[in-house]
Amino acid sequence: MDSPPGFTDEELARRRAMSRRLAWILGAVALAIYLVGFIYYRP
Amino acid sequence: MSTAPSLEHDTSHGHHAAPYQGGVMRWLTTTNHKDIGTMYLTFALIMFFIGGAMILAVRAELFQPGLQLMQPEFFNQLIGVHALVMIFAALMPAATGFANWQIPLMIGAPDMALPRINNWGFWLLPPAATLLTLPFILALFGVGDGAVATGWTLYAPLSVQGGMGVDFAIFSIHILGISSILGSINIIVTIFNLRAPGMTMMKLPLFAWGWLITAFLLIATIPVLAGAVTMLLTDRHFGTHFFNAAGGGDPILFQHLFWFFGHPEVYILLLPIWGLIPHVLGTFSRKPIYGYKAQVYSFIAIGLLSVVVWAHHFFTAGMPVPALLYFMYSTMFISLPLAVLFFCWVATMWRGAMSFETPMLFAQGFIVLFGLAGLTGLVLADVAADAQYHHSYFVVAHFHYALFAGGIMGVMTGVYYWLPKWTGHMFSETLGKWHFWLTVISFNLTFMPQFFLGLAGMPRRIPDYALQFVEFNAISTVGAFILGFSQLIFAYNVYKCVKGGKKATDKVWEGADGLEWDLSSPPPHHSWEVQPVIK
Repeated sequence: MDSPPGFTDEELARRRAMSRRLAWILGAVALAIYLVGFIYYRP
Repeated sequence: MSTAPSLEHDTSHGHHAAPYQGGVMRWLTTTNHKDIGTMYLTFALIMFFIGGAMILAVRAELFQPGLQLMQPEFFNQLIGVHALVMIFAALMPAATGFANWQIPLMIGAPDMALPRINNWGFWLLPPAATLLTLPFILALFGVGDGAVATGWTLYAPLSVQGGMGVDFAIFSIHILGISSILGSINIIVTIFNLRAPGMTMMKLPLFAWGWLITAFLLIATIPVLAGAVTMLLTDRHFGTHFFNAAGGGDPILFQHLFWFFGHPEVYILLLPIWGLIPHVLGTFSRKPIYGYKAQVYSFIAIGLLSVVVWAHHFFTAGMPVPALLYFMYSTMFISLPLAVLFFCWVATMWRGAMSFETPMLFAQGFIVLFGLAGLTGLVLADVAADAQYHHSYFVVAHFHYALFAGGIMGVMTGVYYWLPKWTGHMFSETLGKWHFWLTVISFNLTFMPQFFLGLAGMPRRIPDYALQFVEFNAISTVGAFILGFSQLIFAYNVYKCVKGGKKATDKVWEGADGLEWDLSSPPPHHSWEVQPVIK
């Protein structure tokens, strides 16, 4: 079998951790968009 | 694209240790992407019939002029809840069901990256749908004055003055929005982080690309809708005047906020479908997908343009001429990347060895009928013409060509295409073809007359109408009932397929291409225990 190997369990765990971090960032962006509407002043 | 299973999988760790639960607990606690996908799709089908029943009552009322079956207040409630149910509780969950089932299979991931959030995202839906429809039942017992009666757009000041159905809808929209954002986050991180080794972004299946753009659009726009309905809530109960002109507020502000979400929502509903259609066309034309990169760039262009064109939904509310011109031209500009997609779809079929199984029939029906939605959309984008057509049945016909022919028929394309893979059984082709032809004919019987009604000046959202509109309304109602009842064939065909039938092969369709077809039909409980590698 000459193809490169798939993810090891360690690699999979690392990718899951990356996913959790990115998920928090995306969630924070969504919350920020929601909140900015209340702070934004429209003359 | 080829694959080679390359690792023996160590089964002594985490996810194999948990005992497999059956019965209700399986569905309540499952974190398996296939189980959750099945729940999303089942929920969508149930809500599709509930929303459909509501609009059949509306069409029955409109069969003849005069008030026949219901009071105008109840008529308004049915129309508004029908739209909210179909958009938020039928089409969006169906697309999320596809994403759950297919994205891990198509990109070679073992599951979604955040399985518990995935479970939560689904289980928020049933209470939200209950909140939407509960006011109907409460009204039967003398509590409240029924469901939200403002139409799905919830325009102020009507929604500021409305009954408690508006509060139920506001709460429901918040919950549905949280569910959508959780689903979107999960899809983005799964696509970014769990693709099989060797699957670069430019080897990503188009279905995953369509969903990726959809997920970003949801994260950008759902909070704006949530903000708008929160402001509506505070206007109703906490003494603010965001949308109350008497208090220095601006009702048009609500329209801006709503449609900043509402227009991208159309593409949120359609991008997953545009992603899956090329796979079906390629499979049944026995050709590679034409113009992969062009389609990806078109998805991105449409996603970007969709958030800068919102005000074309209320040209007639009044705005400066430069703003009218900007929103008109930017809206028309969207037709360019969309035309690229149409070209690629047709070019994929061009000189292919086509066969016409049910998924292919639905895909082709989608192209023709959704094309009519695009053409009539161009008419509505024209400021001068829109002044005539706004709030008429022309608009109703246009968006049903977009969201039934483009959305629901697209979902049916996907279900027929992937159902044998999911269940391990073939569905009845005969029933599938009956379903297709009855759907296409009755759909046109229902909605084509509505173009003529709109052109003749019949306004939308009215339970009674002038005598000049009688014939087309009668035809439309007959068509709607045939359309509604022909969907029972679909439900029966799916049920029969789940229960048994001719065994499906792993590849299912001769011309199919992609990772998901390397797995067994149905796929094992844990997808890709041995991860594929893309050469």
